Amino acid sequence: MVVDDHPMWRQGVARDLAEAGYEVVATSGEGVQAVRIAPAARPDVVVLDLQLPDISGVEVIRGLLAALPEVRVLMLSASGEEQSVLDAVKAGATGYLVKSAGTEEFLEAVRRTAAGDAVFTPGLAGLVLGEYRRLAKSGGPAEDDGAPRLTDRETEVLRLVAKGLSYKQIAARLTLSHRTVQNHVQNTLGKLQLHNRVELTRYAIERGLDAPD
Amino acid sequence: MADESTAGTFQVPLWRAIAVFRFASMAYVVLMVALNVTDYARPLAAIPALVVLVGWTAAAAYLYARPAWLGWPLLGTDLAVTLVLLIASPFVIGRTAIADGAPSLAVAWEAGPVLAWAVSGGRRRGAIAALIVGAADVTVRPNLTPASNTGLMLMLLAGVAVGHVARLAVESEQRLQQAVELEAATRERERLARGIHDSVLQVLALVQRRAAHLDGEAAELARLAGEQEAALRALVSGRAPRQRAGPEVDLRTILDGYASPLVSIAAPATPVRLPAATAHEVGSAVSAALDNVIRHCGADARAWVLLEEEAGAVTVSVRDDGPGIPAGRLAEAAQQGRLGVAQSIQGRIAEMGGTVEIISAPGEGTEVELRLRVGR
Repeated sequence: MVVDDHPMWRQGVARDLAEAGYEVVATSGEGVQAVRIAPAARPDVVVLDLQLPDISGVEVIRGLLAALPEVRVLMLSASGEEQSVLDAVKAGATGYLVKSAGTEEFLEAVRRTAAGDAVFTPGLAGLVLGEYRRLAKSGGPAEDDGAPRLTDRETEVLRLVAKGLSYKQIAARLTLSHRTVQNHVQNTLGKLQLHNRVELTRYAIERGLDAPD
Repeated sequence: MADESTAGTFQVPLWRAIAVFRFASMAYVVLMVALNVTDYARPLAAIPALVVLVGWTAAAAYLYARPAWLGWPLLGTDLAVTLVLLIASPFVIGRTAIADGAPSLAVAWEAGPVLAWAVSGGRRRGAIAALIVGAADVTVRPNLTPASNTGLMLMLLAGVAVGHVARLAVESEQRLQQAVELEAATRERERLARGIHDSVLQVLALVQRRAAHLDGEAAELARLAGEQEAALRALVSGRAPRQRAGPEVDLRTILDGYASPLVSIAAPATPVRLPAATAHEVGSAVSAALDNVIRHCGADARAWVLLEEEAGAVTVSVRDDGPGIPAGRLAEAAQQGRLGVAQSIQGRIAEMGGTVEIISAPGEGTEVELRLRVGR
């Protein structure tokens, strides 16, 4: 499923996917529409432009995941909107690619997203790294405030991703298996998304929004 | 000197205040005449003088409120009416009474045109009107008394002060106008940026994407489109201007300037604030490191910049995917003092109390890591 408000892009991406053997079950130029048609289209992967005319990327991701908990979201973004990319990742997107990436790179990202891998750009790794440090700083020295922490190994891996090394290169440098590197990267996202859900729930309880109606 | 046409909305309250002053001073003159008319040399002549006084007070209040009338004819007539009343005073009241200190037919009212001149044209014009009226006042008096001198000095002061205030009003209005225009321009720029973002940038990215795997000219076009996309995006994203002011700057905005299809910039989503001088030094060091990448690894070498902030330290790493430096070569070059660029980077960072580490192995590229302590 392809969600992008720019018709040329939408068609181009859909054609690339079709040529590569994927079935494009739906396309949409609006977030609200995308969330509405997703349950019927049942996509495995949603290729999502973060900038839509109606609702934010975060809202689209929440809507998609609420309807289809198993769906994978690969976001595309044309600009360096750091905060919205980070918010989208925290909301549950597992892949990120800049729009200027080439077709090969894009198809590889779709393949890996479909397989359940986290697709990171160096830019995204930098953002995630920064987010953990921000949480660590605001959380203070106490370890029991629920804020997620990275292990030393995870930090090491994430820094290498941010410096542009491929998983293979990282595996070679740290003498780990390719799979382990992938797991480490995945964990950094998983912890952040879990923390985000916990925070949202805590916020809801504080506001009394969890009361049964 | 202010042109009458620039007199705008800020001056309206001033004109209104002058009209109030004219009516109040007119009432004072009428009262003075009523109290002293029995002692006048020609009491009947006071009647046309009072008619002129009241008539012009009303006319002036009406005409000065209308910008179309504001000009030299009105200002000149205003002053002339006052001078006529002043010069007629000895004839109506009598020379001896004036000499004894009796108030003239224009007592406080004569300050009206002085204020009008000051508001219309600033300090200098106010002072000139005060001097003309003052001179007329002096000539009709056979002798000067301390009270009349004080009155004249106050009138001069009022002319200058009100002129100054009026000038300030005009200037603030102009400044306000400029600010409004600037804001409108900024908004227009943001609107354009959105438009460019939604159309041109998307198409450029698309061209780059669809032609990247082709050969020859098409690939060259794709590369050009990619470069233009990066440049245009940097131009319209415009995160910089507002944060650039002040003693601290966001290091991200400086590093963003080096982003290109070949150079990836990874940074936190939150600002990394450093003192302006330090941030620019770090920017120069990164720039030098990137130049070094091009020199040693070719113009199409890729590079990755990572900016990190931890408690008390900022780290910037610049990595390339070039051939790397064989072990020992680095130390050898350092011994021979041939580290060139690397050394200049080291110098810059060391001056700020930071450290530079160069990590490299053959086939794994080279990494320059800058670490700075930040007081927090």
